[in-house]
Order: sequence, then C-alpha cells, then structure tokens
Amino acid sequence: MALATPALGGRTAGDVVRANLTKSQRDVPGLLALIALLTSVLVTILVLFTLIGTILVDAVPFLRDRGGSFVTRTIGSNPDVIGLWPGLYGSFIIGLGVIVIAFPLGIAAAVYLEEYAKPTRFTRFVQINIRNLAGVPAVVYGVLGFTIFAGWLGGLTGGKTVIAAALTLAVLVLPIVMITSMEAIRAVPQGIRDAGYGVGASRWETIRDHVLSYAAPGILTGTVLSLARALGEAAPLIVVGALAGGVGLLPETSLDGKFTALPMLIYGWSGQPTDADNRWQFSNSAAAASVILLALVLFFNFAAILLRNRYERTRTGS
Amino acid sequence: MRLPRFPTLRAVNNSIPRRLLALAAASTLVLAACGDDEESDPTDAGGGTTAEPSDTTTDDPGTTVAEPGTTMGGDTTMGGDTTMGGDTTMGPDTTMGGDTTTPGSTGGTVALEGGSVSVSGSSTVEPISVRVGELALEESGGDLQATVEGPGTGDGFELFCGGETDISDASRPIDEEEIAACEEAGVEYVELEVAIDGLTVLTSPDNADVTCLDVPALYALLGPESEGVTEWSAASELAGTVGSEYVDQLPEAPLDIFGPGQESGTYDTMVEFLGDPIEAQEQEETLRADYTSSARDAEIVAGVEGSSSSLGWVGYAFFVGEGDALKAIEIDGGDGCVAPTEETIADGSYSFSRSLFIYVNTAKAEENPAVASYVDLYLSDAGLATVSDAGYVDLPADRIEAARQAWADR
Amino acid sequence: MRGVFLGAALTAVVLSALILYTLFKGTFDFFRAIEWDFATLADSGWYPRSSRFDLRTIVIGSIVVSLIAMLVAVPLGLGTAIYLAEYASRRVRRIVKPIVEVLAGMPSVAVGFFAVYVIAPDLVSRVFDPRQPKNMLVAGLGIGLLVIPIMASVCEDALAAVPGSLREASYGVGAKKVTTVFQVVLPAAVSGIVAAFIISASRAIGETMVATMAAGAVDTAVYKGFSPLEPGMTMTAAMTNAVGGSDQAAAEAPFKVLFFVGFLLFMVTLLLNTIGDRYVQRVRQKY
Repeated sequence: MALATPALGGRTAGDVVRANLTKSQRDVPGLLALIALLTSVLVTILVLFTLIGTILVDAVPFLRDRGGSFVTRTIGSNPDVIGLWPGLYGSFIIGLGVIVIAFPLGIAAAVYLEEYAKPTRFTRFVQINIRNLAGVPAVVYGVLGFTIFAGWLGGLTGGKTVIAAALTLAVLVLPIVMITSMEAIRAVPQGIRDAGYGVGASRWETIRDHVLSYAAPGILTGTVLSLARALGEAAPLIVVGALAGGVGLLPETSLDGKFTALPMLIYGWSGQPTDADNRWQFSNSAAAASVILLALVLFFNFAAILLRNRYERTRTGS
Repeated sequence: MRLPRFPTLRAVNNSIPRRLLALAAASTLVLAACGDDEESDPTDAGGGTTAEPSDTTTDDPGTTVAEPGTTMGGDTTMGGDTTMGGDTTMGPDTTMGGDTTTPGSTGGTVALEGGSVSVSGSSTVEPISVRVGELALEESGGDLQATVEGPGTGDGFELFCGGETDISDASRPIDEEEIAACEEAGVEYVELEVAIDGLTVLTSPDNADVTCLDVPALYALLGPESEGVTEWSAASELAGTVGSEYVDQLPEAPLDIFGPGQESGTYDTMVEFLGDPIEAQEQEETLRADYTSSARDAEIVAGVEGSSSSLGWVGYAFFVGEGDALKAIEIDGGDGCVAPTEETIADGSYSFSRSLFIYVNTAKAEENPAVASYVDLYLSDAGLATVSDAGYVDLPADRIEAARQAWADR
Repeated sequence: MRGVFLGAALTAVVLSALILYTLFKGTFDFFRAIEWDFATLADSGWYPRSSRFDLRTIVIGSIVVSLIAMLVAVPLGLGTAIYLAEYASRRVRRIVKPIVEVLAGMPSVAVGFFAVYVIAPDLVSRVFDPRQPKNMLVAGLGIGLLVIPIMASVCEDALAAVPGSLREASYGVGAKKVTTVFQVVLPAAVSGIVAAFIISASRAIGETMVATMAAGAVDTAVYKGFSPLEPGMTMTAAMTNAVGGSDQAAAEAPFKVLFFVGFLLFMVTLLLNTIGDRYVQRVRQKY
C-alpha cells in the first residue's frame, strides 16, 4: 500500500506513534501525584509507629521492673507500688457485659431484619434508626447510661457501678454488632437457604443451621471488633461515674461499688505531676496501662482481621 | 538540676534518639503482630489471683531507697535507654519502694478491723487520706479497704451529708448550709483536724517581676471586681484603690489564671483570705469567674508551669512536689513578705496558713468497725506521718492531742 | 422465634427513643434550672459553676478542633485511600491496610496520652511556642490521627465502587495513570468522598477523650476566639467536665448542662450523619 505520508521530518506516522508509545517519557504530574500519595501513606504509618513506640519506650522498662505486681496491686499515690488491678477487673466485666448482652441482641436483630422482615416502611425506619445510632458520639451514650442504667435501673445495677457501665457500653456497640451482622447475613447466597428449605427444614432451622453458620465468620469479625471498641472507650465511663486513676484509692473490686476501667486509669494517670522521689512516674504507669489496653484491643483487632481474611479466602478460593 | 515536667520542652535534648528507639520498638511490635501478647500474659496470670497488697516486708509509701540521684534526670528516657540495650534494672521484688517510716514507731500499734470505708471530699486532703488508706491496706493484710476520691470539699460534703460516704475530707471547716444539710439528713459527725496547709500562690519562675504580693493586690487580681482583667498591670489601679503596697510589682504581661473551682475548699479559703477587701468594696463573696478552673490539682499546676506569666493557687503539697518548675509568691500579711515553708506555715507567720480536716460520720463509725479503725490509724503516729509525706505540715503536739481527744469523745 | 428476633430489632428503636427522651428531659430540666434565662447562654466564657454557659466558647472550640483534625485527616486519609485503591500492588495493600486498621482500633485515651506527652511538648511547643503547652491545636492534631482511618476506609470504598470499565475507557483513549485517577476515577467517586468527609467531620466533633485530655481548658474555659494556639474547650469536653467525677450538682444547672450540650451534639452529629448517608446511598445507586 502506497499511501502518501505527511511530512514528518522524514519519519512515518507509524514511527511517531511507536516512539510515543515506547520512548521513556518523564511523566512529571504522574510522578508528583505518586510522591504525594506515598507521602500521605508513609506519614500515616510513621505516626502510628511513633505513637506505639513512644508508649512502649515509657512502658517497657516500667513493666519489666514492676512485673506482675503492676497487675495484681491496686491504684494509689505512688507509681513505684501501684497497680491496675481494679482497671482490669472493670474492663473484664465490661467485656463480659458486651458479650452477654450486645452480641445476642445484635445478631438476633440482624436475623430479623435480613431474614424475617418484609421491606416495609417500618423495616426501613428501623434500619435508618440503627445507622443513626451507630453515629451517636460515645459521650452521649454515657448520658443515656447515667440516666437509665445508673438512674432508673439503679435498683438492679446498684447505681453508678460497673454493671451500669457494662450495660452502657453494651448498648454503645449494639448498633455496630447489628450492622456488621446484617452485612454478613446479606452476603449469604440465596442458594444456601434454598438448600435448607429443599430438605424440608423450617425457616428457623434453615436460619440456624445454614444461614448463620455460613455467615458466622463475618458476624464474628464484627462482634470482635465491637468488643475491642468497647474496651477502649472512656468517655461514657466518665459520665457513668468511673473513678479516674491518679491520686485516688480503690482497693475493692466489686460489682456494686465504685469502679474504674483500663482507659479510665490511662486518662487519670496522664498529666499527673512528677515526683522526683519516685523511681517511676505516673506517665510510666499510664504508658504501661496503654500497652496492656493496646495489646488487648490489637489482639481483638488482629483476630478480626485474620478471621475476615480467612473468610474471604474460603469464599473466593473455591 | 531538676527537669521540668511534661508541658515544657522536656525531651528537647534526647528526643531524636528517643524517637528512633520508639520507631525501632514499634516496628518490631507491629510487624510481629502478636508481640503484644507478651505484655498481656501477666494479665491472664493475674486473672485468678486477687489483689494482694504487698509483700509486707519493705513497702510503704514514703521515701524511696532506690537511687534517688539517678532517677532525677527523667526516668522515662533513661529507662528507655537502659532496657533497649540490655536490662540492668533490678528484679521486681527489690524495687518496690521501701520506706523509712517503720510501722513500729507508732505510739502503740493500732488493731485494724477489716471492712470497707468510703472517703470523699477535698482534693487537697486526698493525698493524705490515700496514703493512710494504703497504710491501712497494708497493715491489715488487705482487709481494711478504703476507697478515696477527691471531687472537692463542697462536693464531698454534699455526698457526706447525703449519707453516701463515711468520711469527708475538707480543706476548710464545714459551712452553715452544709451543717443544715447534715442536720436535716440526720448525719452526725465529728470534726478532726489532721494537718496544716499553706495556701500557696504560684507563678512561673519566668515571671521575675512578681515576688511578693499583699491581700489587696491579690484582690485586684482575683477578686470579683477583677473580671475581664487580662494583664497583670491592668489590676494596678484597683490594687491602689484597695490599698495595696505592691502596685509597682505588677508587670505588663498577660495574666493567665489557673485555680480550683467553686466546688473546692481551696477556692473558699482564697475567698476567705480576701475577705477584708471584699467587704470594704461591698462585693459578693466569690472570686472572678473568668479563669481556668479544675478539680484536679495536677491540671492547675501544669497550667501555671505552662505559661510564663501565670497566676494560680493550690495546697502547699502540690507546690513542694514541683520544685523549681514553680515559684511561690511571698505573701505580705502586714508584717512583711513571708514565703511558704514548713516553718512559716507551722508557726502561722505565713498568713495564708489553714487547717485541713476530716469529718467522720459517727453513726457509721459505730456500726462499721472498719471506719473506726481507719480513723484510729489516721490519728496514730504512723498515720499522721503520712502528712509530711504527702507534702503538708504536721500539727503541733497539742493539736494532735486535741484531735485524738475529740475522736475518743465522739 | 420470629417474635424474639423482632423484639431484638425493636431495641434499636427503643434505644433511640430513650436517648431522645433523656436528652430532651435533661435539656428541659437544665432550662428550668437556669430559669429560662437565655442570657446565660451568651455570657462570655464557659463557667458552669458561676451559671455562665456561653455556647459560643464551646461551639467555637469544637469547630476549631475539628477543623484542625480535618486538615490532618483529609489529605492523609484521602491520599492513603487513593494509593491503596489505585496504585498499591496486592502485596503492599496486604501490609498497609492492616496498619491503617490498627490505627482505626486505637483507643482514644492512648492517642490522648500521645497528644499530652509527645504532640504537645515535642511538636506544637517547639514549632509554635504557644502560651500553654496544651491547646486546641494539640487536641486537633490528636483527633486528626483518630479520624485518618475513617476517612481512608470510606474513601477507599467509594473508589472501589467506581466500575473498572471507566478506568479501562480512560486508558483506552490514551490517558495516563495520573489523568485516569484524578480526572476520571476521583470525579466519579466524588459523592463517596463527600460522604467520607462528612462522616469524618461528625467523628471529629464527637471525639471526647483527646479533647478532654489535651485541649487545655479544664472545668472552665475563657473565651479566646478562634486562635488554635489558645487553650479551649470542645462541646464533648464540656460534657465530661460537667460530670467532673462527682454528682454533687446532680440537681443543678452546672450538671444538667451535660444534657443540653449532649442534645446539641446529638443533633449536629445526626444531621451530619444523615447527609453523609445520603451521599453513600447515591454512590450505591449510581453504580
């Protein structure tokens, strides 16, 4: 084919196109964009590492020195001898409350909304309601807990006790449990249900044996994450009346008396004055308590991430 | 030299290696995701055991035996370095504080009953009550458990007269309204003086111009008429009007005020000390409202340290603990400038001296032997030894005797 | 069985009703305690125990702190999201994503500790030399850290929702990667990014512990305007400080203001979340 080629300085159009496609070009905007993006990622990671690192540097020598006594003793005036036992106890009860109350309630609600409810206006209303609840600031839940659990139900909870706090935090994570469970159940293929009905199972049996077991990893991920969230919250505890660490004293751990929790100790210990006579300072104990809280929270977070990854692999793998 | 506390540039010299260390430590942690479990292990181990208060051998609140010289420099950084490069710290057992106040030195050992005691009230007295509580916990082998908190004298009496607490700490005597409230609720109590405090007026060491003030000058800075004054010098005119001799001491610098709030006995004490000019000027018995207040003394101290021309006031203990990071303003009560020291507070030559009290619900002391035991211990030699440990000034012997007598006669 | 499940679902409705009732009732009690004297809500400075509840002080505090938080979180969060969604290889993604998620799970008290002991002395005090080491800038930076992962994850979802065909079409006409990402994918994901922005803002306003620990003002706050280097108080910090570890004033205005501020906070975050939700829905409908 002898097509007339336009004058291109002796080159054919094909040459130009080829050159444009293959020659190394300096893509300045592209490079700048990539640098900017990488910077933001690196800054984020760096900040996280600095945060964890600072806490570790303040905490590790202290923990090594104090050892188990920091766990078994109670709070008090001298960082050389105090411990965080009441905080661990409080956080344990709160975690238990979340597991016993928020998990079953949240999953049950999700089952209803995904499996039973017809798409009526009422159902939509409930769903919007749940989404809004998830966005309510934690401190507002504290106000709710103070009024309802420590006030109205004071006869049951004993007033401003760790039980009231556990109920408050259970309610705080309830919408999160509901939303993640709903998403997990929604992801169950229709075929799984049909298989259940096909062998003559009732609706409840199908849900129990087929839908829930299929959705279990997803539900578990959400619930574990919400447990981590509950353990880290301090704001609602302040409002419900937890004792902050610092100069106070709380030797007793009881269900019906004054209480505290790990994040409350960190809050109270941060910013206490230093005392040159002491070997350790409250900043050390605050850091050490942060390490233990972080370890708990990160443990649950990693568990959730691992679960999710496994879940994704098994679902996409086959 | 003492290093300033956190709000100032504590870590300037060492922060870069410290950050690097931090980074290194963090990378190991994050990359080996489960590295944390090491720290959480003792948690699980502790799950079964109950809180046992001590090994009973060498651990009391008090002065530490462990190398005071080396710890001075800022333990955080030092500690960080040592552990990162090989551990030289002592085993947990040897480091547990240790004490010079031997329990045996009391005038007769107190037999302690087990049980629980709830103490609330003044945050100024709180450090004493906490130390007595720690002592009780230890001496009773963990049986006598005192819960102590410090929302403020006023808030404490509210709880006390509502029958919610056994003992109320107070940095001023109970006032008429509170007496009425207690009476109405049928709460009977005994007032026990436990220590002397010097209300300490503070500023930053950088505020070189201010060294001594008199009551009229403080009135001009803190009284109800000073509202809106944001510079020290802006108070000069009022200070002159009410008869201050220290008008020229007020520098042209921003006035950043930090102090306790109205729930606090330390607030009420300041109002009381400013009583003369308040009365002369026919003002209400309050202070200006527009300053940063806190129920947590640590926050007040941090605020005063943070600003170069600050003004604040706290109990003496919160000042002595801070050393060079704070400057106490001398007070001229009519006989020249006097700085707060243990001597001047004890002999009353420091005019802002005041007594610290505990109020004990006598009915509760009757029905709960733990409450009585706690107060017994409080008033014993070992208990009162915590007063100076907490940073306050011991009562003279006759007033100790009076307090013990009042307690015995309850 | 159905009844049980229905009951569980209804707890959400009951909870919403209880929250609203609590806040309304408490707000009403608060107004009764101040004898409907609205002038106290505009009296300069936040001094609850002196019956001065200047809303301007704490609202501006919240605005300043959240703005700073957003200045930190938006570029870092969006940048991280774009990188993860458009640039990162599978392997890098597998490492970076969990790290961002760790940040998402960080307890806010730990960030508060970091703000007080590191951001305040080592960063803000050294760079800006403020009058007080704890100030609104410190709190804003700390809250910014907490908001980054929220911004990143909602943005990433939005970017992932943009169909691959759009990118392929862009490459097909010879566009470069940077052109494709910034002029095709980002505009297509804009409602999701707006949603991320709004949800993040709502989180920043509602974050409590960092503001309580690091913003500077404690039980009272002097009105200092918009300057981020001055100590300030956010609405959330005003709430925790109203409780102040004691219930002494439980029947009085300085305590009851807790409900009023809570009510305002609830309304603001509800409004933001609802708008944010709208935008999320729009993304879902579009693709």
